[in-house]
Amino acid sequence: MAVRIGMMSFAHMHAYSYAHCVKQLEAQGKAQLVGIADDDAQRGQQVAQQYETRFFPSYEALLDASIDAVIVCPENIKHRPLTEMAAKAGKHVLCEKPLATTKADGRAMIEVCRANGVQLMTAFPCRFSPSYIRLKQMVRSGELGEVLAIRGTNRGRNPGGWFIVPELSGGGAVIDHTVHVTDLCRDLLGSEVVEVYAEIGNGFCHGDFDDTGMLTLTFANDVFATLDSSWSRPKVFPTWGDVTLQVVGTKGLVYMDMFAQNSTLYDDRNMRITLEHWGSSIDLGLVSAFVQSVQEGKPVPITGEDGLAAAEVAFAAYESAKRGEPVKLPLPE
Amino acid sequence: MLKVGIVGAGTMGRTHASAYTKLPNAQLVGFYDADQAFAGRVAPQFGAKVFDSYDSLLQQVDMVDICTPTPTHLELVLKAASAGKHILCEKPLGRTLEQCEQMIEAARKAGVTLMPAQVLRFFPEFKQARDLVLAGAVGKPAAIRTRRGGPYPRAANDWYADFEQSGGPILDMVIHDFDWLRWTFGEVDRVFAKALTFKGLDHIDYALITLRLKSGAIAHVEANWADPSGFKVDFEIAGDAGMIAFDSRFAMPLTVAKQDAGGAGGGVAVPESPLAEDPYMLEIQHFVDSVLAGQQPSITAEDGMKAVEIALAAIESARTGKVIRLGGGA
Repeated sequence: MAVRIGMMSFAHMHAYSYAHCVKQLEAQGKAQLVGIADDDAQRGQQVAQQYETRFFPSYEALLDASIDAVIVCPENIKHRPLTEMAAKAGKHVLCEKPLATTKADGRAMIEVCRANGVQLMTAFPCRFSPSYIRLKQMVRSGELGEVLAIRGTNRGRNPGGWFIVPELSGGGAVIDHTVHVTDLCRDLLGSEVVEVYAEIGNGFCHGDFDDTGMLTLTFANDVFATLDSSWSRPKVFPTWGDVTLQVVGTKGLVYMDMFAQNSTLYDDRNMRITLEHWGSSIDLGLVSAFVQSVQEGKPVPITGEDGLAAAEVAFAAYESAKRGEPVKLPLPE
Repeated sequence: MLKVGIVGAGTMGRTHASAYTKLPNAQLVGFYDADQAFAGRVAPQFGAKVFDSYDSLLQQVDMVDICTPTPTHLELVLKAASAGKHILCEKPLGRTLEQCEQMIEAARKAGVTLMPAQVLRFFPEFKQARDLVLAGAVGKPAAIRTRRGGPYPRAANDWYADFEQSGGPILDMVIHDFDWLRWTFGEVDRVFAKALTFKGLDHIDYALITLRLKSGAIAHVEANWADPSGFKVDFEIAGDAGMIAFDSRFAMPLTVAKQDAGGAGGGVAVPESPLAEDPYMLEIQHFVDSVLAGQQPSITAEDGMKAVEIALAAIESARTGKVIRLGGGA
């Protein structure tokens, strides 16, 4: 039987892609998009129409319906309340990243899901990138020898809206763009971050939120990494941004530009040059893995703990910038 | 006409020698190298003599060009200064700040010109980027990234591998980027760095360095002696009104690939980026012209010392795990 899915909020734009993925799985008989609830009713109705599904007037109404699982994509600070509602209603949760904006919220989300016997998965689609999977294979096979250092970037543009209201997002570029690459590094190394140093700035937008982040991570296995999480792509940049990893090992070096599978479109009518991505959809990999775990009753591949560990690096980055020195992890509960 | 002596007949000494032979107002007199037999093979290629001592070279020239391993710079510079000779000295100017200070003081007292060979300032891609930044092309710079490196360098006595001599890739190589960053974006406030330098690895070194500039901009510098695929350089300057990006991999007007014997293919593509004006030539021309005109070159010895200061701060940070603030203060 298809896994019945409800979607809670489309505040985060990734929700659109996830809805599209659920519809693709629906066509294969693996999932069913039962309905959408959104505290922005107008947006919710519009999206329900777009994806030919039902609009529920409240989250409660959606959770009362016959669904197995939810995909939660509200403003970052609402991840906790929506996850708690869903867990208490006995629904499995796929939650958008960053899992939470505080350690206490993340812990509470993990705990409520455990207490109610539902699974909590963090939306880290980069894990499903065929290039990352291949890179991980190279690293794990020992082809590169012992991993020594990693240089990562996850750069983008200021998304605006609630992303730049710290009361809703928990920060700016650093909370937004730290977690993907941090998660990849943790997964690749099988080691936890034990120290974070960060230089954080607002030199692009000059707002009351951070738009520049240069993090240095040290892992328990002594590997060091830097991560550029800045919203530094200009308005005319030909694509949204990037995810890159350069892994230095004792026997060699591998460089990944995750979204390099593009052709270039020179568009006279819009006076723009854009990179048209033709690589595999990593979001489909993510949603498929969630659906499969729910269907088969198997553990999700990326847990709430994974989500919190990555988010904690962003929290530590803010703390480091405030103190002007490296910060040790884990942070106090 | 300026009479020139080169100390050190290695790669850089030969690169510089080639430049002097093309200048109308300089005459390459000869080389001095601790390995006299080696210098004896090199010198005739440039129509130059070989001197059997540094002192005898100094007697025959107006300026010396020091292209030797870093820790030898101090003594060579001090001797040249006391002999009243002008000095072009390879980067890094000194192995320590104290050495730099002594050199600067000696040159000042002797009234001779001392210029550190921070040649990046003469590379057209770096010069152009600075011009664009100063013209406001990207607005106010906010995030700057540079990358430099390739395979682990090999040289006489494997001296690069001796940290006490070379200072590793942070002091020996990305000092170029530190100087260019200072020149383009202003002074550095603090430095945080991680490096493989002290891990005792065999011919692999790598460092990632974050600088906070006094302007508020954040810079990230990669120093790579761990990439067997070849030497590469890139930079990216992102500001509040645009971005400049350069990647040497994609700025190669020529790529040649030759068939293996027997036409089996398998040849490696070799890229080239020919320039009408070689950056080393421009650097040397600037030095020679400045000396002959009695003018201070655009790169001061203090600039050389400042670049060393940033590099040593990065090394100190990598060694201690601490943030190093420049210009005193905690």
